[in-house]
Parts: sequence; structure tokens; C-alpha cells
Amino acid sequence: MSAKLWAIVRREYLERVRTKGFVIGTILGPLLMAAMMIVPALAARSRGKPLKIAVLSARQELREAVEAALREVKIDGRDRFDVQPGQAEASEAALKQAVLDKRLDGYLALPEDVVASGSASYYGRSVTNRIVLRAMERTVSAVLVGRRLASAGLDPGRVKELTHELDMKTIRLSEQGEREDQGAAAILALIMLMILYTSLLLWGQAVMTSVIEEKTSRVVEVMAAGVPSTTLLMGKLLGVGAAGLTQVLVWALSLLGVSLAAAGPIGSFSMPEVTPLMLVSFVVFFLLGFLFYAALYAAIGAAVNTVQEAQSLAFPVMLPIILAMISFPAVLESPEGTLAVTVSMIPGMSQLTMFLRIVVLTPPMWQILLSIALLGLGILAVVWIAARVYRVGILMYGKKPTFPELVRWVRHA
Amino acid sequence: MNDKALVLKGIRKAFAGHVAVEDLSLVVPRHSVFGLLGPNGAGKTTTLRMVMNILGPDAGTIEILGQPADHAARDRIGYMPEERGLYPRMVLEEQLVFMAAIKGVKAKEALARMGPWLERLSLADWRKRKTNELSKGMQQKAQFIATVLHQPEVLIVDEPLSGLDPVATDVMREALLDLRRNGTTIVLSSHQMDTVERLCDRVALINRGEKILDGAVSEVKARHGKNTVVLAFDGDGSFIESLPGVVRVTDFGQYLEVRLEAGSDPQPLLREAAARLRLRRFEIVEPSLHDIFVETVTRHGKEAA
Repeated sequence: MSAKLWAIVRREYLERVRTKGFVIGTILGPLLMAAMMIVPALAARSRGKPLKIAVLSARQELREAVEAALREVKIDGRDRFDVQPGQAEASEAALKQAVLDKRLDGYLALPEDVVASGSASYYGRSVTNRIVLRAMERTVSAVLVGRRLASAGLDPGRVKELTHELDMKTIRLSEQGEREDQGAAAILALIMLMILYTSLLLWGQAVMTSVIEEKTSRVVEVMAAGVPSTTLLMGKLLGVGAAGLTQVLVWALSLLGVSLAAAGPIGSFSMPEVTPLMLVSFVVFFLLGFLFYAALYAAIGAAVNTVQEAQSLAFPVMLPIILAMISFPAVLESPEGTLAVTVSMIPGMSQLTMFLRIVVLTPPMWQILLSIALLGLGILAVVWIAARVYRVGILMYGKKPTFPELVRWVRHA
Repeated sequence: MNDKALVLKGIRKAFAGHVAVEDLSLVVPRHSVFGLLGPNGAGKTTTLRMVMNILGPDAGTIEILGQPADHAARDRIGYMPEERGLYPRMVLEEQLVFMAAIKGVKAKEALARMGPWLERLSLADWRKRKTNELSKGMQQKAQFIATVLHQPEVLIVDEPLSGLDPVATDVMREALLDLRRNGTTIVLSSHQMDTVERLCDRVALINRGEKILDGAVSEVKARHGKNTVVLAFDGDGSFIESLPGVVRVTDFGQYLEVRLEAGSDPQPLLREAAARLRLRRFEIVEPSLHDIFVETVTRHGKEAA
């Protein structure tokens, strides 16, 4: 690298890295990520105190059966309901008062005809703890179904045995071995995809903004007098790219850290695996995707005078990346399907889609390499075009060029 | 050693719709201070940009210090464009180191060189401050330092003194003349004719992309002859305009500059003026560059139209 290119790369890198936004974003990213992964896992483990409830029913025998069944309910090996012994004569008004006085969390009101009608009501201060309330619903439902079966002359225990439902575990097979997966892989894929998507857009736009700033502050003419415009463009792409890479590396490594910690000391809660291949491809596809989009954004920045003007030109550039995001569910549904394989080969979309495929399964190596090679060619083409628009655009002020004019710049530059 | 700093031969540059520079040839000798003059939109900035290889000419050749205007030669030129440009959020010192690095100067060397310059242009206290904290005049001085830190052999400055207070103007002019004494060739473009007159030894005037005047300042003035009279007086001098032989009267407030027809005798004017006004000054002088500029551009405009 020539000394001049190096000076530009260094300046661009330092200017980005020294901002508060960068420092905060870099630190906040992993914290958010850790929160997103650990909090639900921890929350599942300790969902707080059992719910203190009472059961209201005119039929004492049914009430006691429901109470007993609720006392048996365990989630993650812990009691979920602290059932207060009910009194036959307890009035609904007294229970309501108890809830409002916080002596109870809530109460379940079973009407006289509950066995036949199957409808009951739960009154509580908080009714948003869906998992616990679902458990309550299922438990009471089982008691009621048992009643109905018994009155029809069937043995509830026998029926339960015969109608036992399938409990299907999903296990992901990969070269790294088997692993039980409870939908977490899809969530991880989504999280990593979102991070990749936003970083690509943010860092691409950072390049655009900085090109516009150089035009506004007129420093670009001084620069263009010192070095060829291609050097200027390359320096900017590499410098801003290095800053983005720094951030993404910090994020990727902390993701790895969280993943290792999850498997190790913190404990055995369910965390999807983060393989080295995922992390490497995260970094690789960030870099390649960045170069692709940043070059386009640099061209836009050079063509316009203000950030506002850039919006209309920026949309077509974002189109492929948006299409890639829209095709996300289809790719997840069928990661080896024709659509998924095709989209993961098209430069501009591949950096997201191929990465997604790598997260949800391991595509054949030749596909990964082909995708990277095609993206590399795409980058060369885009940089070639961008360099031409850039060379003409940086010294153009005034009217925003139309698309045909841009084409002319590319042809004649 | 080549004795020509810049040689432009038959330069042409057209943009969509209009011709900015047409068949322009210029020679800037080494160690001279060369003034590139012209009205707004005449093609000065385009010409300078082609010299800096920011734009490529459609036709013609440019030689800098005996080499084609390629990148190798660029490090030997300093360029201060009309629109000043510094990175607003950069600390002055880093900014200067960076600008020097772009011209191939190592950081250590740049730091050593900038000290005296910052002292001289009274920016030493602002060394660690960000550019956007500096006033406009200070930014201009900073820009000048950024332009000369790599010790260019040819210095191209666009409006070097505009926007500076009188003290800073003097300091800057001194700095320019010092550079020239040390062998730097200076090309300056300006609208301030008094600046040009005091600094330059050669000028070229371009209008509508064409060169319409070129030569040493003394030569150019001599060519326009000693047919300008400066008059200062008390009374109403409006009749002077209608006297025979008077081409044009420029009112400078404190005095009038009266241009006579080529070869005409100023004595009738003196007699007439002495008879009707209370004269304080009557002097036959060389025309000012200002006057030559206005006259030549107006005449060229009429011819072109």
C-alpha cells in the first residue's frame, strides 16, 4: 500500500473510531446480544415466585380436585401455583378484595356448569404471564376432560395412555455432531442476519455521508489535487470498512464468548451453537457486502449535494438487499431450494442469503466459494462504475444529475 | 534545468453544453509570480484544475517542470483552490500532517516544518484545536500552510488574500514573496487587481475560455500607452466625460481616472480642467491593471458578440 493511500485509510479509520457513537455502538451491540440470548434463558429458569391463587367453586369436590391438580404443576421442576385452601362459603367479593389487597395474585372462578360448558374465568392483577396461565388452562382442562370421560364410563387414566401425543424433538445434524434444537437456530439466524443487514446499511451510508461532507466542505478538491480520485475512493472504502470491521469483529467475538459461556460455566440453558464457520462467514460477508454497497453509496454521495438529495438515488441501491430480506422466510423454509441457492449466488443479495444458509445448515463448500467468487466479481464491477461516477461527481455542484447523465459519466469518465 | 515551470499548449475543455477553455496556451517561467486574471466564469478554475490533473483536457498538452502533468509531478506543486477545504472535525495539527502526507511528506518532517509557519501566521495557539473552531480567516491561513508544507516548487493559489484582514493580508503577502525569493514559482488567480499589480511580474488575462492578453506587467502597461490621466479636484467634473479625445472616465471617489484616445494629447484636457475646476492633482500615468482588465474584457466581449 502506498504511503498516501495509507494516510487516507488511517484518517478515515480514526475519524470514525474516535466518535462517541462508534464506542457506544461497539460496546452496546454485544450487551444487547448477550441480553437477547441470556435473558430469555435465565428467565425460563427462574420465573419468580409461584402464583398465589385460590379456586372459587360451589362444588367442593371439584374444587379440591382442581386445587390438587394445580399443586402438582411444575415448570422447569418448580411449583408454579401456591394454591390457597379454598372455603366453600368464600364469596367472590371477598376473593376480589383479597386480590386487590395483594393477599392473592388471582383466583380462578369455576361456574356451576363448568364440566359441561368448559368455560371458566381467571381474575388476577397480572394476566400477561402467558406460559403460567396456559399451564393453568391445560391442567384444569385435563381435570374437566377426566370428569367427562368418567361420566361416559371410560377410565381417564386408560384414555390418557392411549391418546398420548407425539413428543418430537428436532435435532440438527452437522459435521460438528448432533444437537437438540428448540427453534433457537432460527432465532439466532434472524438475529445475526439483522445485525449483518443493519451494519451493511449503516456502514455503507457512513461512506455516502462522508463523501457528501467532503464535497460540502470542499476539501475534496484539495484531496483530488493531491492524489488520483481512485486512490481517494479506495482509501475511503478501506478506512471506513476497517472501522466497520472493528465493530463487527468485536460483536462476532463477543457472540462467540456468549456462546462458549453458555456451554460452559454459566450453565446448561439452551443456547444455539455458534460455529467458527458462522463467525468467519459473518466477517467475510460483512466485508464483501460492505465493499459492494459502500462503493455504490460512494457513487451516490459523489453525485449529489446533500443527504436529502441522496434518498431517491439510494433506494434502487437498497433494492437487492431488501429483496434478500424479503426472501428470508422462503430461504429458511427451504435452505437447499432453487430460490435459496439462486439468491445466494447473486451479488448484492448473496452476502445476506448465503450467510443465512450457512447459519441454518452447511451448504456445499463449492456453493460457498462460488458465491464469494461471484460477489468478488460483482464488487470489481461496482467499484469500476463507482470510481467513474466518483471522479466526475466530486467536483460537480448544483443540479442533481439524472440517471441518463450518470450513465454518461460512467461511459465518458 | 528547465526554465519553464508550466507550459500549456492548445488546451481545450468542454463540458456538456459549453466550452470552458478554448485553445489556451500559456508559459509560466520559473521563479516568476504569474497572475491569471479573468472575469467570473472565464475558465480560470477549470484551467487550474487541468494543471492539477483533477480534470483532463479534451485537447492539448500540459507540462509541469518539464514533465507531463502526471501524478509524479503533483507532489512538486502546491494548490490552494478558491473554495477552501479542510476537514472540519480534524485537529489542526493532524490536519496539516495529513495534508502533507498526501503530498508524500513524513509525519515527523511535517510536524517540524509546521512550527515556524504556525508562528508566522499567528496560529500557534490553535495547533490542537479543531478546524471548525477556527475563524474563516484562520482557516484560510491554515489552508495556506497545508498548501506549502511539502515545499512545492510551483505554488498555485486561487484568491490568496481575499477575506483576510489588513494585518493578515500583509503577513500573507510577505510569505508569498519570501517563497518566491526562495525560488518558488507562484501562479495566482485573483480579482483584486491591486493585489495582482503589487505581486505579479507576469499576467495573462482570459475571457470566455480564451487568452486575450499575456505578458510581463510592465510590458502590458507600456502596450496600453501613457494615455491615462489621474485628476483630483474640487467642483463638478461631470463635463470631462464629454470632452473630445476622452474614451472613458472611472470615478474612484477621491479621484478620477480619465482614459484618452491612443496618441491624443492630454494638454487640452489640462487646460479645460484648470479653467473650470480647482485642481489638486493632475498626473499622466500608466493605466492601472484594473483599467486594462475592464477595457480589454469589454472590448473582447463586444468582438465576440
